Amino acid sequence: MIKFIQKPQGASLAFMLAGAAWFVVGALYGMVSAIHFVSPEFFSNIPALVFGRERPIHVNTMLYGFTGTMLIGAGLYYVPALLRTRLWSEPLAWAGFLFWNITIASGPLCFSFGYTQGREYSEYVFWADVSLVFAVLCLIVDVVMTIAHRREKQLYVSVWYLVAALLWTACNYPLGNVMWHPSTGAMPGLIDSLFLWFWGHNLPGLLITPLATGAAYFVIPRAARAPLNSHTLSLAGFWFLVALYTHIGGHHVLQSPIPNWLKTVSVVDSVAMIVPVSIVVLNLWLTARFFGGRVWSDPAARLVMGGIVWYIVTCVQGPLQSLPFMQRVTHFNNWTIGHAHIAMLGFGGYIALGTMWHVIPLVTGKSLYSEKLVSLQFGLITVGLTGFFVVLTIAGLIQGGAWHNGETVYRVLPELAPYFICRAALGIFILTGALVGLYNLAMTLWRGEELSAEELQRAEEAA
Amino acid sequence: MKMTPALLIIGALMVFWASTFIIVGIPSMTMKETPSEIWRPLTAEEEAGHRLYVANGCSYCHSLFIRNSDWDIGAERIAQSGDYVGVEPAILGSERTGPDLSQEGGEHPDDWHLSHFKNPRYTSPVSLMPSWEFLGEKDIRQLTAYVQALGGKAADRRVERQKRWKAAAVAAYNSGPDRNVEWIHSQVPEVWRRMPNPYPATQAVLQRGKRIYQDFCINCHGPIGDGKGPAAKDVFPPPLNFTILRRHLVENRYIGGIFYYQIMNGITGTGMPYFKKHLESEKIWDLANYLGVYFVGYTDANIEPRGIDASYEEQWTNPYKPPALPPGASPPPSSPRPSP
Repeated sequence: MIKFIQKPQGASLAFMLAGAAWFVVGALYGMVSAIHFVSPEFFSNIPALVFGRERPIHVNTMLYGFTGTMLIGAGLYYVPALLRTRLWSEPLAWAGFLFWNITIASGPLCFSFGYTQGREYSEYVFWADVSLVFAVLCLIVDVVMTIAHRREKQLYVSVWYLVAALLWTACNYPLGNVMWHPSTGAMPGLIDSLFLWFWGHNLPGLLITPLATGAAYFVIPRAARAPLNSHTLSLAGFWFLVALYTHIGGHHVLQSPIPNWLKTVSVVDSVAMIVPVSIVVLNLWLTARFFGGRVWSDPAARLVMGGIVWYIVTCVQGPLQSLPFMQRVTHFNNWTIGHAHIAMLGFGGYIALGTMWHVIPLVTGKSLYSEKLVSLQFGLITVGLTGFFVVLTIAGLIQGGAWHNGETVYRVLPELAPYFICRAALGIFILTGALVGLYNLAMTLWRGEELSAEELQRAEEAA
Repeated sequence: MKMTPALLIIGALMVFWASTFIIVGIPSMTMKETPSEIWRPLTAEEEAGHRLYVANGCSYCHSLFIRNSDWDIGAERIAQSGDYVGVEPAILGSERTGPDLSQEGGEHPDDWHLSHFKNPRYTSPVSLMPSWEFLGEKDIRQLTAYVQALGGKAADRRVERQKRWKAAAVAAYNSGPDRNVEWIHSQVPEVWRRMPNPYPATQAVLQRGKRIYQDFCINCHGPIGDGKGPAAKDVFPPPLNFTILRRHLVENRYIGGIFYYQIMNGITGTGMPYFKKHLESEKIWDLANYLGVYFVGYTDANIEPRGIDASYEEQWTNPYKPPALPPGASPPPSSPRPSP
């Protein structure tokens, strides 16, 4: 046991494996939820599978469980690798793994029985919140100590993003989850919506975004076999991200009675988000410029590049829909659900998967069981997600347009049926993609061919 | 600029906290909780219902604030910050697969909610809400108490009105089916009682009316209009049996206006909701024609008094004969129509 948790890169592998498994769990819950939109009496009166309970399981398992876990796992590999050292403490990272996964497992285990704080993205109950904060603290200590023991003087941009993601989360999470009110995890009154959406938007913005950006900064130059385009742009993207992102949660409650100056701040900074996002995307694209073939022909890097494309789509759409004029039509309906999916599965999920496939041979010393299956996963998820985005956006426009024109919510429901059916059908692609990934990963561990020391050396030094 | 560990850690935290101070710190210091004119504290039972609302994720499909661009149920009052005083958590919601509930209190009587929680499709046939029967009677009662409190003092006034009219409706129901219909009809303003349906009852109209009946009415009033839909066992007084209306036509000929008025405004105190937010004028008249033709065997469509036919309407003569009069009754007065 002691030997097991001291094995180099063991925790990194465990995080990525857990991420792949949570992806399947999250996709299954998503699938059942999608079916419930088509047929609300499918699995009727099964308490654990009622929509109000399964939806937070789907959302949290995908956010924290799949995307977050897998990206942290990849980070635990690339941070020491970029610093030319080993992770400071493997057992500490395992402790982080344990606490992190206790929190995620608390989703299905608690929400199914109605134990939830009920605030979107902050549903985990108090002890699970504590466990998540412990996990983040373990990882912060480990990563900071790794930096202290580094043998590479320069801190590469991926390292900044991973360290910052953990630091911000350690501050963000307790604040947004109002952890000083353990029983409800909420403030009394309207102000709670500010705390809620503070974390609600910082979860994608200051946890998943920096994790995924850091991972993309690691994979793209290596896959393109080209140096990073610009150090200055990296710096600008990083500092703009944190300066602006924290402000924009208010756009989730833009039409509610929160103070007007807050609405203004959140809209202005939402629009301004185009700046850091374009900086990051351009920096990565310019890095890969002239080497597109190398990126495309590598299935792992293709996933990462796909994620970057989803990132720019999400972050052009996001600022647009923060505008009050747009929100009159896009708020409260499936348009937003479409947006959330391209952000979390498109941007975060693609980059998590791509980075995972990219580093798995380096972590395990084994070649991937099948690159074709990685391509298959890319294809399945791309069909599923693109379809999702289109279908949900159309459904949202129908709802928003009809409501704005004076139709009631109830009256419009029958119009949505064809889109809900398409959504469920497309969900099968995503669920299959998750299963294919887990299978490929398991087979790599079980059957993957050992890479020779020479090959491994070459792979590690690709950049 | 060179990124050193100190700059990274201290800088990232400083920028973060500075930003956070603006968006969370300043509001915490400046936002005050002042109750709005409709605010009142929740009772213990309503509190319990609120906890169930949170625990079961009702907020994923229902919002709790009305925007100034809304038209749907509750849209008469835009949400104010003072509506949420002391509610923990006041989950405003981010999606509407169901209606906003911030003013739901008193929209329906309690027994409508009981039926709706057991199976939402009993009262609302196209609803996508899950069945909550598994929660059991006590939880559903608490949830109902919470929902009836949404809207604070304004909700209390609506609940009060529901109770007042429920007493009258129950008394009428208990006086027998014919007296019941007479009571219901007597609640319709005089001008509506002699208003024939201005839409010809063509096949297209009846087809549209049928679709509306299936989306809104069928699970209370039943597929054959006898008032024996699945919701009938939960709501009291039970849904109206349309088939007995044949002997309650005004002057043995008018029914359209009565249908229209009752569909539009509902019968507060009973399970019959108002539909004027869901359905516009033509849809209600189409439904009235459908009810008449299929369940009463008669519609007053296009009979006198009528004005100039709308330009799209074909020449249409009402083929439905009023029911035969009982012996001894006087024939209804007729007003000859001047030729054009």
